[in-house]
Amino acid sequence: MIKKFIHQFASPKTYLYQINRAYKYIFYSSLFIYTFSLIWGLLFTPEDFVQGNSFRIIYLHVPASFLSQSLYVAMAIASVTYLIWRVKLAAYLIIAIAPIGAMVTFIALSSGSIWGIPTWGTWWQWDARITSTLILFIMYLGLISLHTSFSNHEKADKLLSWLVIVGFVNIPIIKKSVDWWSTLHQSASITLTDRPSIDPSMLYPLIGSIIGFFGLIICLVIISSKVQIIKRESTKSWLKDYV
Amino acid sequence: MRSWLGPILLFILIMVSYPLTIEFLEQDLEKGFYSLLWISILLSMMFSTEDIFLEDYNDGSLEQIIISSTSFPFMVAKKILIYWLMIGIPISILSFLFSLGITQNLSISLFLFPMALISSYIFLNLFVFGTALSLNKGSVLGALITMPLALPVLIVLGKSIIAIQFGINYLEFLLLLLGCLSIIITVVPFIVSYVIKTHLE
Repeated sequence: MIKKFIHQFASPKTYLYQINRAYKYIFYSSLFIYTFSLIWGLLFTPEDFVQGNSFRIIYLHVPASFLSQSLYVAMAIASVTYLIWRVKLAAYLIIAIAPIGAMVTFIALSSGSIWGIPTWGTWWQWDARITSTLILFIMYLGLISLHTSFSNHEKADKLLSWLVIVGFVNIPIIKKSVDWWSTLHQSASITLTDRPSIDPSMLYPLIGSIIGFFGLIICLVIISSKVQIIKRESTKSWLKDYV
Repeated sequence: MRSWLGPILLFILIMVSYPLTIEFLEQDLEKGFYSLLWISILLSMMFSTEDIFLEDYNDGSLEQIIISSTSFPFMVAKKILIYWLMIGIPISILSFLFSLGITQNLSISLFLFPMALISSYIFLNLFVFGTALSLNKGSVLGALITMPLALPVLIVLGKSIIAIQFGINYLEFLLLLLGCLSIIITVVPFIVSYVIKTHLE
């Protein structure tokens, strides 16, 4: 049953029809969650004792940084799927995610530096977490430039998958950089294993904003993957019926 | 000849031009020297791997090696090893000599030598992967793409110099790099061989 579903879902045609049905639910629910937690976080959360109002950028910065790594993990999973099972859809997803990942990483970097001015007194510091996120940003750009330099799409997909998998070694380094080196950037406040070190009045909108932002970015990925499918399957007859 | 002497000359030229860019009477040459040393090792390794597969690819011998029964990943590993022996080791010896000229502290230079040996081997492996990715597309692209992967190694190298200047646990950094190297030299030849097979399909 599940196997059959996965097999069907892996074909671009079924994916396109299924995702169109699900798209509006994902979009509106995540838009609602994100706006709701933004309003909660911006208007109804008390001021931070030390940072004042400037901490409220957390509702953009944390979801963006969280997603910048998650999107790379998603790309790595898609690469492994593509190289092992030769699922075409996975290859489309890799190149669909890459520009969005670059964008989200850029949001994380810029919002972080805006936050840095009032709290650290500097907008940029060569600290482990910031530098490794910058490396991630450069890696996203490199992935895009590798893919665009080949006219043969299938070859480009395979080479891109290898690069994504090899580049995956950087993700644990970014994730753990704040724990391994003593740096300016604080270590993670929310972990799966420990109790969060944030007050619940700030934590709940934060969790809501992470979920909402996640959903919105997934919507972007869906749109971008649709573009990829239409671009790459343009010779297929089913696409004519779809369009 | 160009691919052998070129990177070494590049390394020497960068290292020679370093004192020229600062005041001659400056006593504190040591300050930026080590970071420049690591970066110039990185650059000369990037330069050396530029055409590692290109000639074989153009005259078709790469295809024949893959078709023949000899193990292709093993051949890639041998190729990288030869590059390291011919370019990596001379550059490490040169960096030891340059460091002797810069600092009075012999233990720094002695420690720097194995670090240069290991890091040049790591960089070679990474850049060979990059060159294989953009085999017939001008290898600068591949080298640029794999550069971010080398940056964590640079961070470790930078930290290690501080550690040795204060005389604390520098063996840790050496062992960390050695561990990275042992993973990289076993994995990279296989990945490179898959990538090259993709190119030839």
